[in-house]
Amino acid sequence: MKKPFALTVAATALVLVYLIPVYWMVATSLKEPADVFNVPPDIIPTPATVQAYLDTVFSDPAIWRGLRSSTIITIPTLVLTLVIGAPAAYGLAKYRYRVTGGVLFLLLAAQMLPTISLALPMFAIFSQYGLVDTYAGLIIANVSVTLPFAVVLLRPYMGAIPGDLLEAARLDGCTAFGAFRRVGLPLVRPGLVMVATLTFVMTWGEFVFGLTLATSDDKQPITVVLNRFIASFGTQWTNLMAVSTVIAIPIIVVFIVLQKHVVAGLTEGGLKD
Amino acid sequence: MTTTRVAAATKTSPGKPPRAGRKRKRSRSLGTYLFILPAALFVVATTVYPLLYNVNLGFYDAPIQKFLRGTVEWVGLSQYQEALGDPKTWVSLGTSLVYTLATIALMLTVGTAFAILFTKTFPGNKLLRSLLFLPYILPSVVAANVWRWMLDGTSGLVNYLLTTVRIIPEPVFWLGSPTFALPAVILATAWTMVPFAMLLIIAGLQNIPRATYEAAELDGAGRWSTFWRITVPLLRPVLSVVALLGFIYTFKTFDTIFIMTRGGPGDATTVLPILAYNEAFVNFDLGSGATVNTLLLVIPMVLAIIYFRSTRKEG
Repeated sequence: MKKPFALTVAATALVLVYLIPVYWMVATSLKEPADVFNVPPDIIPTPATVQAYLDTVFSDPAIWRGLRSSTIITIPTLVLTLVIGAPAAYGLAKYRYRVTGGVLFLLLAAQMLPTISLALPMFAIFSQYGLVDTYAGLIIANVSVTLPFAVVLLRPYMGAIPGDLLEAARLDGCTAFGAFRRVGLPLVRPGLVMVATLTFVMTWGEFVFGLTLATSDDKQPITVVLNRFIASFGTQWTNLMAVSTVIAIPIIVVFIVLQKHVVAGLTEGGLKD
Repeated sequence: MTTTRVAAATKTSPGKPPRAGRKRKRSRSLGTYLFILPAALFVVATTVYPLLYNVNLGFYDAPIQKFLRGTVEWVGLSQYQEALGDPKTWVSLGTSLVYTLATIALMLTVGTAFAILFTKTFPGNKLLRSLLFLPYILPSVVAANVWRWMLDGTSGLVNYLLTTVRIIPEPVFWLGSPTFALPAVILATAWTMVPFAMLLIIAGLQNIPRATYEAAELDGAGRWSTFWRITVPLLRPVLSVVALLGFIYTFKTFDTIFIMTRGGPGDATTVLPILAYNEAFVNFDLGSGATVNTLLLVIPMVLAIIYFRSTRKEG
């Protein structure tokens, strides 16, 4: 209580130091290629230029295709995760099934699997069904990761829906599903927003499935395209950092808008189940 | 509107004949399985089935060409025996453990320090706290590339800062050095995970009653002894959850290391997920990759069971 201002100064300094990598990414992306090697380094890009963005995102078709693929993969993944996940979370919170314990264990265990452990057999299975190098395959793979996560995080929210309201809806003639959809879902909107945000964050940044299941340049998400370009960007740090910044921007924007929900949800989800 | 509905509910329910009520309940409970059925089927099809498939695939000699032609050969346990007898596997397991445990150590210490600072009241606390969360949600591809640049041997910012303040006499080629590559990827991984740890530890700290601290102060306990005798013991359950989740998330890390070092130099940063990837997608041997993959699954599965049991007990 004596020195809140001193604490603010200390915390600000700490956060600034901790976020140096993020600043350095943006700063590098705004430099002239030659200035990148200056000693001592220019802390503030002088002169600042958006040339790296013009050269990559706006002129390189591969980067465009990568961003497009990421979008085509992310949106259906988000929708499927919510459409399948929300009812499951509701069911697991509101009904006692004989299989509840088993299903919950399955969902928790699924979250702990290394992505590569799924990607490897999926590659083998998908190649038999013509799903390798298709958006459908990539979407299925991504949902396999986001769905368990979504159900586990949503369950506490669903559990908190007052049973009386649901019962009343049933007596007013709603089916079990109708009660869930009309009464339950609107009440858990914050939870849905949180899960949607995290699903977006996870899928947009996904790398392993893209690397293993998308074999052609055309289908690869931007994360993989970026990685493929490391060789040619080897010394072009400005370009590499420009694309990295572009990949990070949607995440940062979504997070700034919705961070309240996300932080609350993650705390809940991490500490309870 | 809510209250009238609830009132209606209590009014009508006793009027129903008990038999019909029971019958309706039974049919309802069958119908309610529809809530979880799609998700359960999906998880079985995309997680359980691939994992069983993977274990089975490990019994086959299946280079990609043979696999695609459908001419794989059953070789029984030989690939598993080979993997278990191969020093490469054990070296990777060791690297995985060092990588994971060091990252957890950083998560716990730095995460706790941050959490203690941010449970104090000061202007700007919330804003700064959420800014600090940014590294956790940044795509790992982005974080890994930024660190690759920061740790660059000739023009990296880390070398510049460390040589300027004379912590190191000359620039280090972090990612090209067999000694420093592993610490470098540990640093980058911990950077992304510390905010998550901080978040959970803050929640834990807020659950410690103020009265406990006030009592300690009355007893004349200093800061250190309060920290070690009150904060740490009362925080233990949260710290063990953080450690367990940290283990699970770090043990499975692939992207950060793949992008920063590809597992090199040599095998200095080849953790088990990288080894499984190399077998399957670099050496194009699906069977042998599946074998390593099965071994890689054992540890997370054991931890999943521990985690599941511990959360069950609390609930």
